[in-house]
Amino acid sequence: MINIGWLYPDLMSTYGDRGNVITLVYRMQKRGLEAQVVKISLNESPGLISRMDMIFMGGAQDKQQEIVNKDLKANKGLFLKKAVEGGIPGLFVCGAYQFLGRYYKAADGTIIDGIGIFDLYTESPGINSQRLIGNLIVEPYILPKTRLVGFENHGGRTHLGKKVTPLAKVIKGFGNNGEDKNEGMVYKNSIGTYLHGPILPKNPDLADWIIKKTLEKKTGEKVSLKKLDDTFENKAKQVIIERYL
Amino acid sequence: MRLFLSIILGKLVAAASSLLNLGAGSTWPGHLALKIETNFVKNIFKKNSLKVIVVAGTNGKTTSTALISHLLRGLGYRVFSNPEGANLMNGVTSALLKTTDFSGNLDYDFAVLEVDEFTLPLLLKEIVPDAVFILNLFRDQLDRYGEVNTIGSRWFSSLETLPKKTFVVVNGDDPYLYFMGKKLHMNVKYFGVDEKLMELKNIPHDVDFIYCPSCNTLLNYSRLAYSHLGVFNCGKCGFKRKDVNNFSENSINYPMEGLYNVYNTNGILTFFKYFLKADLKKINSLLKKFRPAFGRQELIEFQKRKIFLLLSKNPAGFNQSIRTVKSMLKNNTASFLIVLNDRIPDGQDVSWIWDVDFSILLSNVKKIFVSGDRVYDMSIRLKYENKTNKIYPVPNLQQALTKIIENTRQGEKFYILATYSGMLEIRKILLGKKFL
Repeated sequence: MINIGWLYPDLMSTYGDRGNVITLVYRMQKRGLEAQVVKISLNESPGLISRMDMIFMGGAQDKQQEIVNKDLKANKGLFLKKAVEGGIPGLFVCGAYQFLGRYYKAADGTIIDGIGIFDLYTESPGINSQRLIGNLIVEPYILPKTRLVGFENHGGRTHLGKKVTPLAKVIKGFGNNGEDKNEGMVYKNSIGTYLHGPILPKNPDLADWIIKKTLEKKTGEKVSLKKLDDTFENKAKQVIIERYL
Repeated sequence: MRLFLSIILGKLVAAASSLLNLGAGSTWPGHLALKIETNFVKNIFKKNSLKVIVVAGTNGKTTSTALISHLLRGLGYRVFSNPEGANLMNGVTSALLKTTDFSGNLDYDFAVLEVDEFTLPLLLKEIVPDAVFILNLFRDQLDRYGEVNTIGSRWFSSLETLPKKTFVVVNGDDPYLYFMGKKLHMNVKYFGVDEKLMELKNIPHDVDFIYCPSCNTLLNYSRLAYSHLGVFNCGKCGFKRKDVNNFSENSINYPMEGLYNVYNTNGILTFFKYFLKADLKKINSLLKKFRPAFGRQELIEFQKRKIFLLLSKNPAGFNQSIRTVKSMLKNNTASFLIVLNDRIPDGQDVSWIWDVDFSILLSNVKKIFVSGDRVYDMSIRLKYENKTNKIYPVPNLQQALTKIIENTRQGEKFYILATYSGMLEIRKILLGKKFL
């Protein structure tokens, strides 16, 4: 049984993030793998995180992030750090991506400490700055010859430190900060990204990359995954690529 | 003088654009008039003594505006309202331009104004309405409207600027709006639905406010209607709702299908009961004669098929469309066409479709045809939900309609669920008329 830990599903799930979990389960089941989703929110014990084979956390609104930030710092953050450092694959989208960094500087200048798992920081350039919104097309370094497509909607600009590497190069859109052409980051087997849409349904290669890492970590053996019928997925991606490129 | 000039020019532009059939005629005149006279709306309403009712919320504005107008007319009042799709300042202005005489006189008893989420605070800067009606607040087009908390707090600040005598009607089954209502300084009345109609077993996925707005604790729900609407209480600080009008004793003739329309109607009844002190029996008989605004549960006959068209544009709305169709079909099956566009009025971010629960409809599906700009995004969504082969993507909308018609018999009813621009396009194809 593969345990997919979904952190704060009732709080951090504003942009259809559930689609990522649905996709992971579907693509595992199609390969005859048994998978279950374990929802871990405020009331669940932090120790549950240590039993997960893979972790997902999505984005949210400020109000919800405030509640989550408190909970992460009080108890779950340490367990999450241990899991990520130990190589448990993780996908952290938008708000979650920012959270796991060193700090977030809000529009009014307040500094909110992150939980410091990823070597990165995020700053809002101020209340009158534009949010970075729109379709986003990138080329991931971990999957050469593929493109990832999705949608971004964030006020904060994220800058990567030396201990993490960018997930992808921006082809169309803003990415981490709209300046350095970087999008997202990779650290150990974890991915942080601004791509929602959600990211995994339309980017099955990335979904399979996560599944592979999860299985390899769990079994300690090299894994190759059976191909699935991705006709709709590829066409959905193509529609966006053709529209902008 | 500026007002006079703006009216003349606005009317001229309106006349010219309708004469030349330029389309977009509905908001351009208003846009221009506002350039000349930024206080256009303010000045028009200052000149006229009609009562103003403002309708806001994420879902149900157009239906509610139409229903309030219908009921007021039935009571013998003369009613002005802005048409569908004209719910920004320039739209309201355009509607006013069309209706006033050259001196700016509006010869009506009531103005019922539908405004979108951003426009409510803008409009309240210009005018002091007699009543404000807050239907609901759900996540919707986050790329355009942003976070619901931000919208909510903007609404609150602007409502706070209104005088104490303003009559406010708020959805009391919504924890956030109820909390907002309680903080407001004016006379606020609440509406909801009968607990017997609240049938959800678990908190659904499309919720926005299930944490106590007062102390951030997860709320308990003893009953759930849909999204975050229900009978809630906070185990920590004791926050809970009371005095919510649900008209369960009145055998109301609800004019449209679906729980969301029970909400809309109960909100409207609350207004008529407390603000106008109208005779509910009379209102109830008028309800029977109401016909839905277009694209909202509209039944269209086309090539001998009965097409039921439901605008479905955000998670809460889409989930309600699905529940409504489900309750109409019971154990029967039907074919569906789902249209997903990603243009400006639809929202360019289509990720919200993953917050919709399609699974409850699957046992009722013969075939699902999918179309629109994001036909394959929707096809993936459905594929991952139902794991069957009943999904047929047809990118071209005209062809998709032809396909579903080929796959249904004469006299058969099928269902179309579409985002805003998709709904307009469908109507254009089915009715041969261009709208706007």
